[in-house]
Amino acid sequence: MKKEMFISDSDLRALAQELLTAGTAVIAPVQKKLPLGERIEYARVQSPDQLVFNQAVSANSLKEFIMPPTVAILCWKQRKAEVELQEIPRDPTPQVVIGAHPCDAAALAVVDRVMDWDYHDELWFDRRNQTTILSLACTAGDGTCFCTAVGLAPDSSRGADILLLPTANGFRAEVMTDKGEKLVKAHIPRFKDLENQQPLPALEAAKKKIAANLRMDSKAIQGLLEKGFEHELWKTLGLACHGCGGCAQVCPTCHCFDIVDEPEGVDQGTRRRNWDTCQTAKFTLHGSGHNPRADQNCRIRQRLMHKFFIYPEKFQEVLCTGCGRCARVCPGGMDLPEVLKMLTAKAAL
Amino acid sequence: MNIYQPHLMRVEEIIDETPDTRTMRLRFKDPRVASSFSFKAGQFGEYSVFGTGECTFCIASSPTRKDYIECSYKKVGKATTGLRDLNVGDDMGFRGPYGNHFPLTLMEGKNVVFIAGGIGLAPVRCVIWNVLDLREKFKDVTIIYGARSVSDLCYKRELEDWATRRDVKLWQTVDPGGETPAWKGEIGFVPTIVEKAAPRAENTFAIVCGPPIMIKFTLPVLGKLGFTDDHIYTTLENRMKCGLGKCGRCNIGKVYVCKDGPVFNAAQIKTLPQEF
Repeated sequence: MKKEMFISDSDLRALAQELLTAGTAVIAPVQKKLPLGERIEYARVQSPDQLVFNQAVSANSLKEFIMPPTVAILCWKQRKAEVELQEIPRDPTPQVVIGAHPCDAAALAVVDRVMDWDYHDELWFDRRNQTTILSLACTAGDGTCFCTAVGLAPDSSRGADILLLPTANGFRAEVMTDKGEKLVKAHIPRFKDLENQQPLPALEAAKKKIAANLRMDSKAIQGLLEKGFEHELWKTLGLACHGCGGCAQVCPTCHCFDIVDEPEGVDQGTRRRNWDTCQTAKFTLHGSGHNPRADQNCRIRQRLMHKFFIYPEKFQEVLCTGCGRCARVCPGGMDLPEVLKMLTAKAAL
Repeated sequence: MNIYQPHLMRVEEIIDETPDTRTMRLRFKDPRVASSFSFKAGQFGEYSVFGTGECTFCIASSPTRKDYIECSYKKVGKATTGLRDLNVGDDMGFRGPYGNHFPLTLMEGKNVVFIAGGIGLAPVRCVIWNVLDLREKFKDVTIIYGARSVSDLCYKRELEDWATRRDVKLWQTVDPGGETPAWKGEIGFVPTIVEKAAPRAENTFAIVCGPPIMIKFTLPVLGKLGFTDDHIYTTLENRMKCGLGKCGRCNIGKVYVCKDGPVFNAAQIKTLPQEF
């Protein structure tokens, strides 16, 4: 089978319809109406007409479709002294993402590392393995995007099963994985010979624009963070940070979680894994009342450390794909690209 | 079964160590799990009551004692209150063992000094019984244990046992003001008693566990006695949820307490940032 093919916009939508008809969940960027205005969000679509491509960076990431904000681990039933545990059935619906931003597809591949580090996390991989990702090379980047600074690009294929590159009449489809090949084979009439379809010049322009947003030296930052535990910068950033955790909520790579029991009545309930964030005080609070990260300075330091020092030490890559969402939502005006610029400058001193 | 699924355990025995500290002996309900379960001294687990959630403690019993595990805990929050409300015969959850362990093989043929304060005796007790159950493999065994007051001393029955054993040198102490008229042990903080006991550093491993303030003042005393940092071991505690290196909260700098620890030697601890 050819690894590079062509698919028109209408064939891509027809493919989405075929998937929906077969009972596969289709996730794609859609225009979402809000009480005030509207925005682009990834959502499970009901009709191929909802799909929108390359209008803006979607407000959410793909994280919630692999690691939902809350997921059941087990259910228990108490019968006097005895407890009966019920496992949660592990058969997630197959899902196909059509039009993933390359930063979001890459984020899943980055988080795979920690989820398969020694202990294989089934709660993550069950959904991950059932998900096929069609990344769409991105021309929607804005002034906050910085994927090129963390080793990616608007047309990066990392984490993609199929990479779509926009052309004048549709998309050039590059098959990257077996999962991608399986999908193409199942919908082969939708794919045509590539012929002379060239990626749009807008893609090169997008690349240049994003590269101009931020130039950073990850290695130098890693070195600075290793030595800079007591750096005065943490005080400045700690003052700006409200500790709301919004950055972690929208981050495609933030994966920290809590495990809590939720009783349902008196004798049964569900143990759940919920999203959590290192930006709250309770995250590290000991039962004794002692808190190793007692103030916001420590917590914002932890977030940067985890992404640009700890993760590279453990997995040889940063825990950030440059999507820029944290900077877009921060009520304290904290701008990660600006912070990284500052760190790069300090590391050069 | 996913990695967060606990084993069911039955509470077999409850011992009230102090007014706020309790030890529970637990047995696996599934005989296949019971026979295949093994762990090493220093490893920890996630103990849970269904409805109040999981909490992290070391396994306080020795790996040489098969068929059961024990945990000792202080009632401080929601999860430990849930544990406290259990009765003998009740079911609860356990998953583990997780983390690294004390270097028992390195310690063979050497003297061992155990230094503990308060509930910090729990992880140390696991190693003490491991060593005592294989007594001929080790040389001199010294135990220095202190608590705020006489009533705060944990494992009182075992302290009595160790006090009468000829192959163990036991020093017991309580903080000044914590003694009773009948108290025959030492009076003073643990670091002071370590100085007084002055265990030989040559060919000796020290295992230290207790409140941070006790550890802080004990390490210089051991240094003065000639102990090198790679012969002093302790176990760290941080809030944990998964115990598996995923949930992202127990790290100290780049070190994950749940996977790289919880057991560290003093040389390793000195390289860590002050965030524990």
